Amino acid sequence: MRLHRIRLRDFRGVHDREVALAEHGVTVLQGDNEVGKTSTLAALDLLFDAADSSRRAEIRAAQPAGVDAGPEVEAEVSTGPYRFTYRKRWLRRPRTELHVTAPAPEQLTGADAHARVSAILDETMDRVLWRGLRVEQHSGVGQADLGGQDALTRALDRAASGHEAARPDPTVDDGLVERAVEELRRYRTPSGRATGELRAAEVRLADAEAEHDRCRAALEATERDVAARDRLDADLGTVRARRRAQGDEVAELEDRWAGLQSRLREVEAAGDQAVLARERADAARDRRAARDALIAAVAADADAASRAAAARDAHDAEHTTAREDRDRRRADDTDARAEATRARHAADAADRAVSAARDRAELLDLAERLRRVGDAASGLAAAERAQAAATVGADDLAEVEDLARDLLRAEAARDAAAARVELTVPADGDGLTLDVDGETVTLAAGETRTLPVAAVRAVSLPGVLAVRVRPGLDDAGRDDAVREATRALAGACEDLGVADLEAARAACRAAEDAARRAGEHRAALARELAGHADTAALRTAHDAVRDRLEGVEATTDDVAALRTAAGTAREEAGTAARRADEADAACRAAEDAVRESETRSAVLTERAADARHAHARRAEELAAARVDEPDAALADAESTRRDRAREAEREHETLAAALAGDDPDTVEVLVTNARAVAERLTGEVARLEREHAETTGRLQAAGAQGWHDQLAAAATELEAAGRAHETVAARAAAARRLHETLARHRERVRRSYVAPFRAQVERLARIVFGPTLSLEIDEDLRITHRTLDGTTVAFGALSSGAQEQLGLCARLACAALVDPADGVPVVIDDALGHTDPERLARLGAVFTAATAAQGAAQVVVLTCTPERYHGIGAATVVPLTPSRRPGADSADDRDDHAGDRDEPARPIDPAPATAPGTVVDLPRAPRAG
Amino acid sequence: MRFVHTADWQLGMTRRILGARPPKEAAGGLTGEAQARFAQARLDAVAELGRLADERDAAFVLVCGDVFESNLVGPDVVARACEALGSFRTPVLLLPGNHDPADAACVLRRPDFARRCPAHVTVLDAPGVHEVAPGVEVVAAPWRSKHPLTDLVGEQLAALDPAPPGTLRVLAGHGELDVLDPDDDEPARIRRDGVLAALADGRVHYVALGDRHSTWTDAVDDRIRHAGTPEVTDFDEVDPGNVLVVDLDRHGAQVAVEPVGRWRFLRHDARLDADGDLDALDARLAAVPDKERTAIRLALVGTLSLRQRGRLDDLLAAHAHAFAAVEILEQHSDLATVPDDADLDDLDLHGFAADAAAELFAAATSDDAEARDALRLLHRLVGSR
Ligand SMILES: [Mn+2]
Repeated sequence: MRLHRIRLRDFRGVHDREVALAEHGVTVLQGDNEVGKTSTLAALDLLFDAADSSRRAEIRAAQPAGVDAGPEVEAEVSTGPYRFTYRKRWLRRPRTELHVTAPAPEQLTGADAHARVSAILDETMDRVLWRGLRVEQHSGVGQADLGGQDALTRALDRAASGHEAARPDPTVDDGLVERAVEELRRYRTPSGRATGELRAAEVRLADAEAEHDRCRAALEATERDVAARDRLDADLGTVRARRRAQGDEVAELEDRWAGLQSRLREVEAAGDQAVLARERADAARDRRAARDALIAAVAADADAASRAAAARDAHDAEHTTAREDRDRRRADDTDARAEATRARHAADAADRAVSAARDRAELLDLAERLRRVGDAASGLAAAERAQAAATVGADDLAEVEDLARDLLRAEAARDAAAARVELTVPADGDGLTLDVDGETVTLAAGETRTLPVAAVRAVSLPGVLAVRVRPGLDDAGRDDAVREATRALAGACEDLGVADLEAARAACRAAEDAARRAGEHRAALARELAGHADTAALRTAHDAVRDRLEGVEATTDDVAALRTAAGTAREEAGTAARRADEADAACRAAEDAVRESETRSAVLTERAADARHAHARRAEELAAARVDEPDAALADAESTRRDRAREAEREHETLAAALAGDDPDTVEVLVTNARAVAERLTGEVARLEREHAETTGRLQAAGAQGWHDQLAAAATELEAAGRAHETVAARAAAARRLHETLARHRERVRRSYVAPFRAQVERLARIVFGPTLSLEIDEDLRITHRTLDGTTVAFGALSSGAQEQLGLCARLACAALVDPADGVPVVIDDALGHTDPERLARLGAVFTAATAAQGAAQVVVLTCTPERYHGIGAATVVPLTPSRRPGADSADDRDDHAGDRDEPARPIDPAPATAPGTVVDLPRAPRAG
Repeated sequence: MRFVHTADWQLGMTRRILGARPPKEAAGGLTGEAQARFAQARLDAVAELGRLADERDAAFVLVCGDVFESNLVGPDVVARACEALGSFRTPVLLLPGNHDPADAACVLRRPDFARRCPAHVTVLDAPGVHEVAPGVEVVAAPWRSKHPLTDLVGEQLAALDPAPPGTLRVLAGHGELDVLDPDDDEPARIRRDGVLAALADGRVHYVALGDRHSTWTDAVDDRIRHAGTPEVTDFDEVDPGNVLVVDLDRHGAQVAVEPVGRWRFLRHDARLDADGDLDALDARLAAVPDKERTAIRLALVGTLSLRQRGRLDDLLAAHAHAFAAVEILEQHSDLATVPDDADLDDLDLHGFAADAAAELFAAATSDDAEARDALRLLHRLVGSR
């Protein structure tokens, strides 16, 4: 398709403007913002797409404000074999007109015109490519989606296959793959899972299988129960019969067992009898043994009696010897005793002589002591009399002494405090005699006498002068104290009956002297009375000694001699006494020996008698026993009983052996076992009856369930579900197969398209980026990577400028590749804002290179910055200026030459009035109203 | 003495060809609409033969086995059967057959049957002689289990003495005669020689059999008969849908075959190679009367193009709405679908799509069903463009 001319009337801000475009190469429409560049493009889309009756938002937006006219667009286009002029007005008096001039003239209006243009465009032009090759304002950096473009695909197909001739039919893909995908998605998700109808069929099939299995299992269970019931009926009969037979066997075995039991009891009785007989035999044997023992005992007793008599007789001789010895010892003892008595009397006489001599000495001493005691007693009486006369004791004296000291202290105090009168005779004077208080006092020359004035003192130089000195009040008081003390002292002395202190002291000393003498006399008394209580006792002792000596003749022997004689006599008496004791002891020992011998004699006599008696008794016993049972009878009984016991034992053994031969243990085991079998059979019958009842119950319940009907329905449903699933699965498989086949073929074709497309894009891009550039392009014809100077960068990571430049190269490559017959204009609305000036210059060369070929595509550039596109060598530049409504804001009124727009449509001029690259603003008069 | 001889009512039977209950349909029965009508038709046949018995003054109706399709039919089937039995007066004798043997689960002894069963109905579940009217005895040979190990009829006949004078004896049995199905391995086959001998020496005067769903008469002695099912049950039945009205005396039996069934199970074989064959099939199906009571099974052979196959599918789908069932019997069909050049040209594709179509075409021609389906889908997608 090529655009020759576009005319806008009352379209947005454009009042009326016509733009003519170059048929080949680049047309640059340059003008300020808001001048209506983008409106031109939008108007073209509306012209082709929107019916004149449409009121969609873009159309309402195209309505100029405050004007009673609908927006109107007219374009002259050639495409394929067609060339036509097409005009549309919307909103106010909508209208569509079409004038086809080639290949055959046609004139259509209204919906027919719209339909015809749509048909022509569909037939001749790739409308998707038309949009894809457009770079919109402010959105131009990305890549065009070129993968599905028919025209490009055809061009690439041609390039890939080397065919020059384009294929006549355009309907190659047209969304077939997308529809195949849609069809596949009805059955499977992108991840391959079943969905929709297929999923529903699978679910239905699975449900049907489950239901069928459930019903079949139930039915089979019921059939098993039917079979089980038959089997149980048969088993019950069999087991009941066996149980009856077993009952009979148990009864038979129990009878046998009872018989064996009674025989067992017989054997036990025989055993008891054997034991009894054996016990009796043992008793007879014991009695015979006892008789034998008795006989032996009688013999032993006789022997013992004779031995005891012999012992008694032997002892009688020894006894006589002992008595004779004793008598002899008794005589010896009497003699020794007489000798001892005589010696003792002699010793006693010697002792008495010694004692009388000692008493006489003592009597002399005691008489002397009596005399000294008399002297001491008279001295003591005199001293005690003197003591009683004394009136002043030591304490009394101390009291008087204290009072005298008090008087001295009072006088001293008075004298110290009293005024003094100093009487001084001048040294150069003569002695002088004074009378002081009545006393005469003589004073030598230079002597001074001081007189205290405690009381009134009278000093007189008799005759010359009489001085009386009186003390003051205080001095008088002290003098009173002295007087008081003096009175107290005097009182005390009077009480003691002494004159004064000295007298008191002398009286006191006399009293003390008397006391000392009394003490000395008492000491003498005590000394002489030592050992006696008092004088009377001493006298009594004296008298007692004197009395003892009364009648004793006085000897002259001295005491020492007497003592020696006494000692000798005492020694002799001791020796005699010892001898007497020894004889006495020997006599006593002999007496003891005689007594012991007598005792032993008695014992032996008794023993002999006892042995004799014992023998006699046992002999009597034996005799009595023999009377009861003679020895021969006992021996007889023993042998008889023993034989009887042996017989009973043999009988028992015989019976027991016979019973063991019938094996009662085995019979017992058989009875026990038979009973267990019967019990088990009873249990078996109960179990079978229970199972029978359970099975019957289950069968009754199953009857009401209608399992046959359910299974039949389930089987039918399973078959239907299986068929339905098969059908859907086949459809799903077909969809997958179709999609897979289509996609595989498309991919193969696309892979073959990549090479020529890349060659063309790289040719153009190297102009911008230099000769080292290479590109990677995927099967959707998108640039994925750029390699420059050996460095590979993903497209998305490139700078905005580089992306923009490569995107432009790709679009221009498309424009260069597609067949002139299929080509569509490349429209670039103010792109390349990210491109630096140096690259801009190179891009200019790209534009030229892309449009240089014969029949290359139209390129329309809209820009408000024309310097961006100065580098395009072969560009046709069309400056646009505002096309304002006359009278709107400009006084630039021109001639009012145009006809009334309200007239029926102006005839479309089939021939363009203007040359390419020109712009004609057609100002018209403002419409009325 | 007149009685009605019938058998094989098969109450509770469903047929898969009649279709499942449509999925997702609300509860209200286990089966689909055609199944329900088929079930009702079996009950109607019972009511019809009862009405016939009443009309002809029959002494009794003798049902020789398979009254029910199974011992495990539901209470609803039992209840409706009892209703049908109650719609007439003539006494009915029911013999347990191989489908409803007198085993532990026997439906004829079930409490729900016993409770609803009308008074004039007798169950012959005990083998031996039953006096059903003065001078009339029925010798029953009921099935006691699903797999008997002897000839039940022969067993009964062997135990019989000749009938007393003035007494007519009818034997009621269920099973195939050995001449009809000489399967040596089946111990329950009825020995025809024994039956003929019993008829000859007067132990019985008529042998009423069930199990064979087609009406059948023995070639040697016409007193040996299968009544057949009163309503068709399968495609392979020769003459179903009848009951026998028997007039019996000591010398012979006069038997009238009376149709009571209303359904048909048809099979149709056709060769399909050209559009004309499809036209003929279409016309043939259209000409079938009583379609709503007819199930039809098709055996198709031939070769069709994609387009023709599509036409066949459409044609069958259209008829399926009218018939109780239309089914292609796969094991007897050999219908190839091979795309022809016209199929490919119709697509009018170019570029890679054309290549893809050519690949699928090649595969479909060499009997790749999936490729064929894919090609048909491609047709549809191109057509919807
Ligand atoms: Mn049957």
